Amino acid sequence: MSNSAGPTRRHVLIALAFLILLAATGSAQDWIRTGTGLGVERVRLAAADFKPSTSDANNVNLLKTFNDTLWSDLDNAGIFDLVSKSFYPLQEPGQPSEINFTAWNSPPPNTSMLAFGNLGAVAGKVTVQGWLYDVKNEKSPQVLGKQYTDNATPDAVRVIAHRFADEIIFRLGGGVQGIAETKIYFVSERSGHKEIWIMDYDGANQQQITHLGSISLSPRISPDGSRLAFSSINKSGWEIMMYSFDLNRMVSFPRFGGMNLSPSWSPDGKIALSSSRNGYPNIFVVDASGGNSHRLTNDKGPDVSPTWNRKTGSQIAFVSGRTGLPQIYTMDADGTNLQRITDQGYAVSPNWSPNGQFLTFSWMRKYGAGEPGSNDIYLMDAASKQWVQLTHDSGRNDFPCWSPDGRHIVFQSHRSGSDQIWMMLADGTNVKQLTFKGGNTQPNWSWK
Amino acid sequence: MSTDIYSEHSQLRRPLAWSLTLHLAFAGFVVLYAVFVNGVRGSSWGSGGGGDAMGATLVSSVPLPANPTETTNVLATESKGLSQSQPAVPEKEPEAIPIPDKDTKTKIKPAPVKTATQRKPEPEAAESNRIPYGEGGPVSGPYTMNAGAAKGGFGFTGSGGDFGSQFAWYVEAVQRKVTENWLKYEVDPRISEAKRVYLTFDIARDGHPSNVQVEQSSGVPSLDQSAVRALQRIDTFGPLPPNYSGSKVSVEFWFDFKR
Repeated sequence: MSNSAGPTRRHVLIALAFLILLAATGSAQDWIRTGTGLGVERVRLAAADFKPSTSDANNVNLLKTFNDTLWSDLDNAGIFDLVSKSFYPLQEPGQPSEINFTAWNSPPPNTSMLAFGNLGAVAGKVTVQGWLYDVKNEKSPQVLGKQYTDNATPDAVRVIAHRFADEIIFRLGGGVQGIAETKIYFVSERSGHKEIWIMDYDGANQQQITHLGSISLSPRISPDGSRLAFSSINKSGWEIMMYSFDLNRMVSFPRFGGMNLSPSWSPDGKIALSSSRNGYPNIFVVDASGGNSHRLTNDKGPDVSPTWNRKTGSQIAFVSGRTGLPQIYTMDADGTNLQRITDQGYAVSPNWSPNGQFLTFSWMRKYGAGEPGSNDIYLMDAASKQWVQLTHDSGRNDFPCWSPDGRHIVFQSHRSGSDQIWMMLADGTNVKQLTFKGGNTQPNWSWK
Repeated sequence: MSTDIYSEHSQLRRPLAWSLTLHLAFAGFVVLYAVFVNGVRGSSWGSGGGGDAMGATLVSSVPLPANPTETTNVLATESKGLSQSQPAVPEKEPEAIPIPDKDTKTKIKPAPVKTATQRKPEPEAAESNRIPYGEGGPVSGPYTMNAGAAKGGFGFTGSGGDFGSQFAWYVEAVQRKVTENWLKYEVDPRISEAKRVYLTFDIARDGHPSNVQVEQSSGVPSLDQSAVRALQRIDTFGPLPPNYSGSKVSVEFWFDFKR
């Protein structure tokens, strides 16, 4: 019995293995054929106002917050051609069953994607159901379906809207995480001193972080978002300070003496900074704890504003005045292979893009009395040294910083008459003011 | 006897005359049949052909390489684009015809014209599957297909046309991302135009591209290289759609280069 059962069982196993193999090879033969030149227009997306799913009195306010936030996030994303709400059919869906496909996928809305859903508050809790449908594909339209539950407060609803927007952007944007939940750190003097502040990427929710009562500059958030390095003046001069978001207080960081400025985090958590502890301001690299310091540049400088290649961590760009006016240089992370990449004028504040391909910086291409132009934001391809000007005729623009998705740049501009934080797409379009109160400078975008 | 013979002569003449007229009549009938009846049948051939239209749809939904020379000027292309408003054109002809006097002759001619207009709509419906080069709004038709490993574009197997039609949004994302990461300045500046490069690569479940290969070279090494580099720059296309069962998707991607 056992003899005969053995082979048959083995046969069955072998047959099963073959079946699995066949299935695997069969399913692996899905082909996509596509190419360039087919029109890389932005995705045409409609975002219908979410509908109330309960009869709570609170719904009206929450829905307004939610719809406004979602719309603004999708608009800011820079990858969508948002269909104006005036084109929408009168019957907007709150459930998948309520979709009239032809009303959406033909003119006037003529959209290919539709975000819709419903929101309902019950006893202090809010539940949001959101969908993303490919309305040109009636057979299998659903791209995304999500449900969120949180406290029924405007802040919580705003976070839900951010999350849903990021899900949409992640799916339709080729796997790049959205920035709707990212933060921007900046210097504000609205309290009477220059302190470090934080806000949501869209300018909402501005809060003061430091209360040192001196002058704090150049905030830089660590890659994991747990610590904030900045330079601040105290009794011993300019020193690097560290704030911990885990402990919500300042933590100690060694004092080096001399003038220590412009810290910058590498992707693996080291800090590059400018220090004049040996006389001249040079670029140094230290651990996250401030130990194990070593010097990368060795000249009269001054060398300041280092920034790491955020993708590889193997290159540093910085500003040096060794030839007179400040220029941008790049070098390898061990200080070798020094190259000057700007050839004229006055170039400062470099910042490396998340994909390691581009540098953005502030440049006055013709410097001197009577020369036209002002500090403008430029973008340079680090490999080819080709550059493009992003801001034009709009006052002093400085301190550009990339968003984690590599599609946006936040910067400081004087175009409104005072220094404020502005944001734009990395091609210079869609410029948007984020701060309005007091003087706000030196923005730094979180890593995620 | 002789009378018999004469009478036989007279007997033969009538049948001969009959046979001659009948033969002539038959010949005339054949000629007339060939001219008239055959003409009618000829016109009915094209209009009845359901198989004809099927063939057209199949061929045009295969993503055959579009003609790159059509790209430049929208006004100069003969393609009617994605819009469906063109078939109304034949209505203009009757307005132009009434003026001449010879009605009879012109009336005979419209018959083949009519059959032509009857035939037209079918290929046109098929053409809307094609992406007219450099025209039209956001592409949403099934411009990409996945025929089960059919490189020639004819082997439509059962499980074939799934991914491209079901997850068109993902295909668009792939297309957009590759195009964004393709830096044309990496191509030799002396080259102004080149043949298409075809790359193949796989997208894993997590969206990571792998196994990048030049399937058909353009003959310009720097162009091939720039296409491969575009893929190397991409970490991920985003995870494959969650309701897609396969473990990977294979992509054939072409690059058209023109300065």
